[in-house]
Amino acid sequence: MKHKQKGVFIAMKIVLQNLTKIFPSRNKKSDEEVVAVNNFNFEIPDGQLIGLLGPSGCGKSTTLYMISGLQKPSSGRIFFGEDDVTELSTENRGIGLVFQNYALYPHMTVKQNILFPLQNLKGSDKLTKEQMLERAYQAAKLVQIEQLMDRKPSELSGGQQQRVAIARALVKMPRVLLLDEPLSNLDARLRLQTREEIRRIQKETKITTVFVTHDQEEAMSISDMIVVMKAGIVQQIGKPQDVYDDPANLFVAKFLGTPPINVFEGRVQGGTLYLGEDAVLPVPGIPDQPVTVGIRPEGFILDANGPLQCTPVNVEVMGRDVSVVSTHNASANPFVRSIIDADNRVNVDSGAVRYSVKPHKLFIFNKETEERIYFEVK
Amino acid sequence: MTQKSIDIMHARNLHKTAANQKIGRALVLAGIYAFLILMALIVLFPFYWMLISSVKSLAEYRFSVPTLWPRMILLKNYAEAFTAANLGRLFLNTLYVGLVSTLLSLFITIITAFAFARLEFKGKELLFAALLATMMIPGELFTITNYLTVSRFGWLNSYTVLIVPFLVSVFYIYLLRQNFLQIPNELYLAAKVDGTSDWKYLWKVMVPLSLPTLISITILKMMGSWNSYIWPRLVANDEAHRMVTNGLRNAFTDTSGDVNYPVQMAAVALVSAPLFLIFVFLRKYIMAGVSRSGIKG
Amino acid sequence: MVESKQQWKAWIYLAPAIVLLLVFTVWPIINTVRMALLNNYSGLKAAGGASFEFGISNFQKVISYRRFVQCLKNTVLLCVFTVPISTLLALLIAVALHSIRPLQKALQTIFFLPYVTNSIAIGMVFAAMFNIVGSFFGTENELIVTSGIINNVIEFFGGTRINWINYGSSYTANMFVMIVYIVWNALPFKILILLGGLTSINKQYYEAAKVDSTPRRRVFWRITVPLLSPMLAYVIITGFIGGFKEYTSIVGIFGERMGPVNDAGRLNTMVGFIYDSLSNSNEGRASAAALILFGIILVVTLINLQVSKKRVHY
Repeated sequence: MKHKQKGVFIAMKIVLQNLTKIFPSRNKKSDEEVVAVNNFNFEIPDGQLIGLLGPSGCGKSTTLYMISGLQKPSSGRIFFGEDDVTELSTENRGIGLVFQNYALYPHMTVKQNILFPLQNLKGSDKLTKEQMLERAYQAAKLVQIEQLMDRKPSELSGGQQQRVAIARALVKMPRVLLLDEPLSNLDARLRLQTREEIRRIQKETKITTVFVTHDQEEAMSISDMIVVMKAGIVQQIGKPQDVYDDPANLFVAKFLGTPPINVFEGRVQGGTLYLGEDAVLPVPGIPDQPVTVGIRPEGFILDANGPLQCTPVNVEVMGRDVSVVSTHNASANPFVRSIIDADNRVNVDSGAVRYSVKPHKLFIFNKETEERIYFEVK
Repeated sequence: MTQKSIDIMHARNLHKTAANQKIGRALVLAGIYAFLILMALIVLFPFYWMLISSVKSLAEYRFSVPTLWPRMILLKNYAEAFTAANLGRLFLNTLYVGLVSTLLSLFITIITAFAFARLEFKGKELLFAALLATMMIPGELFTITNYLTVSRFGWLNSYTVLIVPFLVSVFYIYLLRQNFLQIPNELYLAAKVDGTSDWKYLWKVMVPLSLPTLISITILKMMGSWNSYIWPRLVANDEAHRMVTNGLRNAFTDTSGDVNYPVQMAAVALVSAPLFLIFVFLRKYIMAGVSRSGIKG
Repeated sequence: MVESKQQWKAWIYLAPAIVLLLVFTVWPIINTVRMALLNNYSGLKAAGGASFEFGISNFQKVISYRRFVQCLKNTVLLCVFTVPISTLLALLIAVALHSIRPLQKALQTIFFLPYVTNSIAIGMVFAAMFNIVGSFFGTENELIVTSGIINNVIEFFGGTRINWINYGSSYTANMFVMIVYIVWNALPFKILILLGGLTSINKQYYEAAKVDSTPRRRVFWRITVPLLSPMLAYVIITGFIGGFKEYTSIVGIFGERMGPVNDAGRLNTMVGFIYDSLSNSNEGRASAAALILFGIILVVTLINLQVSKKRVHY
C-alpha cells in the first residue's frame, strides 16, 4: 500500500488458498450445513479479467464476496499481492465492487456518488477538492457518462446506472475490481454492448478484475481466464478457448458452448468407440467400458460414407450455417444438433443422414465419475 | 532497510490493522449496549418507582433517604386505593363504555370501509377525500360544538354521550379500506358469480382475511377508551359514569402536603395493569397497528 | 338496473358513518367558525335568548388576553424543546437498536412501554418522583421529609436539591419536568417508526459504503439519515402537531391546577385555554382560540412540508 503511486492503477495478483465457506444449517432440526465454497485454490495473475462461471448456487458469488471481505471465509486465506488480507475488513482492502443491483446511493447525484469514495480517503491518500473533481471526471469519461453527472440514479437507465457503478468502483484506483453478475439486469441488446465496455475498460486500466456470471457466452467472450464452478467445487480453470476445447469433465463440456454439446451413451470395445451400432472412431488405449460421449455441434462432417448415422427431423437455416436436428438411439437427449456449412444440402425426408466426426471435437467421459478419458488423436 | 524487512513490517502493519479493527469494533459494540441499557433503565425507572412505592408504608415512603426495596410489602395499599378512588365503579364504567363503543365502532368502520373499497357509487373519490381532510383538523375544534350539541340532546352524564360521538374514526376507516383493497378483487367477483350477497361476502370473507388489522384497531380503541380524559371530564363526570382516568386524577388532587403517595401509586398501578397485560399478550398487534399508521401517514 | 341498486346499497352501508360525521364532525366545523364570528358568543346566554353580533371581537379579545399569551408561550416552548430532543434521542436509540441482534427484541419492547401507559397515571408517578414531600412547605415552619427520589439522586452525586414542582418552584424547573415527561412519552412512537424505517433501508447501500471505506460517522450522516429522511419528516411533523395539542401531560403532573400550588394555571396550554373558556361558557372565545390554534398548526405544518421538500429524499 505504501508503494502505490497516485493516479496510476497498480495491478495486483489475487491468491486464494484453500478457501472454504460453510453456512450453518438454517433450521435446528436438520444437521445439514451448506458447503458453499469448497477448498478453492487459485492464483489470479495481475492485470487479468477473470470470469467465475457456474449455475446458481455454485458458490461463485460467495467467492466474490469473500474476496471483497463482505463475507468471512470459514477457512483458508486470501492474499492481495503479498499481503494476507483474510482478516482485513472490507473498508481496508482497497477493492472496487459493482453490485448486481448497482447499489447507487439514490439520494445523491451521479457526481456525488462518484465523489463519495474519494471523500473517504485518509492520510497520505487524501485529495484536495479539485483533485477529487478531476478524478471523478476522469472516471466518468472512462465509462462515458460525463453528461449525466447531475442526474439522480432514478433518472438513469439500467445501463447508465451500471456505468456509474463502475465509475464509482474505479474512481479510488482500487487494486482489484469485482463485479457481481454485471450483465444480468440488462436487456439483451445492452448486454453485448456492455460486456465490450467492461473488456475495454479493463484493458485500458489493466486492473485485476474478477466477475461473476451464470452466462457462459458472456464469460467466454471477454475473460482472459475462466473458472467453472459447481456446488462449491472448482471444475476447471483455464483460458476460455482451452476450457472449451479441452473440458476436464462432463459438466464443463455441457456448460460451455452454444448450442450445447450433444451427449451420447456409448461404449468402447476393442479400441473403438461405438455409439449404438455405429463404430464412430478408433480410440486406442482406452480399456473396454461403457462411456458417456460428448460431440460438439461443429464436430460433425456431412459424409455419405460416414460412420455415424442419424435420422433427420428438421433442418434450421441460420444463414451462415445450417443446423441439422436429428435423432440417434444412443443420444442422451431427445435430439442431436449439428452445425454444418450452409453450402451443404440435406434432405430431411431421406430418412438418414450420415456423419463423420472430427476427433478433437469428441470427448469421452467415464460413465460414473464423469471425468475425461483422454485418447490419442492421430 | 532491506526489502524483506519492509515486507515484514508491512505484514505486521496489516496484522495490527486487522487486530485494531477487532478491538475498535468490540469497543463500539460495548458502547452501544451501554447506551441502550442506560436508556432502557431510564425508561423503566418510573415503573419501578411506581411499583415499589405502591407497597411501601407511608412512613417508609417518607424516609429522607429512600429505600430501593421496600422493607415490608403492604398489599393493603391496593385495597385502600381501590376503595378510596372507587376503582371498582370506574373500571366497570370504563370497561362498559370501552366495549360498547369498540364493538359499535368496529361495525361502522367495517361497513364504511367496505363501501369505499368494494362498492361503486357516484362521488366515491370525492367523499373519501373529504373524509381524509377531516383528519387534519384538531379534535378540540369539534369538542366545543359537540359539547353544546350533546347538552341540547340532554345526553350529559350518560353512557350515550361517552360512546356515540366517537363511533366514527376516519383514520381506522382509511386503514381498513387499505387492507380491504389488498384482498384481490377476483375473490369478490367469484363470490358474486356464486350468488353471494355483499353482506355475506363482507362478513364471511373480507373480515376474516383482515383479522390482524381488526385486532390492532380493537386494541388501540380499547386503549383509547381506557386513557380518555378530556371528553369524559367535560360531559360525564358524575359518580355514576366517571371513567378511570378522571377518577384517578381527581381522587388525590393536591400535592402541597400529605398525600398518601403509596396508596396513590397503588391506584396508578391498578389503573395501568390492564393496559400492561394487554401489552404483554398482544404486543405484536399494538406495534403493528401503530407502525402501519406511521408508514401510511 | 344493477347499477342503481348498487348505488342504493352503498349509501346504506355508508349511512351510519355519514350521519355521525355530519352531526359530530361537519356541523362542528361550521358551527365553530360561526361561533367564533359572533361577538362574545356564549352558549348559556344564547339559550337564554340573547343575540350576538357578527364580528371578530372574539379573536381580538383572545389575542390580547394575558392568559392566552401565557398559554401560547407555554405551548410553543414545549414544542420547541420536546420535538427536537425526542426526535434526536429516538434516532440514536433506533440506530443503536438496529445495530444489535441479541436483546434487540427485548429492548424494543421495553422502549415501547411508555406508549401503553395512561398519560395521567404515569404523570402522577413522575410527580411523585420529582416531589418534595413534607409539611408546611414554603413557610417558615416547613418540614421537609424527603426530597423525592430525583433530588435524592442529585444529592447523592453531590448536588443540591431542586424545587421541581412544589410550592414556590420556578417556571424553569416546572418546564424542565414537563419536557422530561413529554419526551419520555414521545419516545416509543418515534422509535418504532424510525426503527421500521431503518429496517427498510436496503442493506446493499451499507455494503457499498463499506466497499467505499466509509467511516462510521459518515455512513450515519450521509447515508442513513438521508435515506431515513421521509420517516424523520413524518415523525417531526406529527411531533409538532401533537406538541401543539399538549394538555393531558400537564394534568398528569400538576393536576387540574396546571401549575404549582402558588401559581395555578402557570403551565396551561392552548388546548387548556380552549377548555377553560368552554367551562366558562365562553364558546365564542373558545371557538376563536380553537381556530387560531388550528391556524398555527396549519402554518407550522406547511413550513415543515416546505422544508421537507428540500431535505427529504424519497
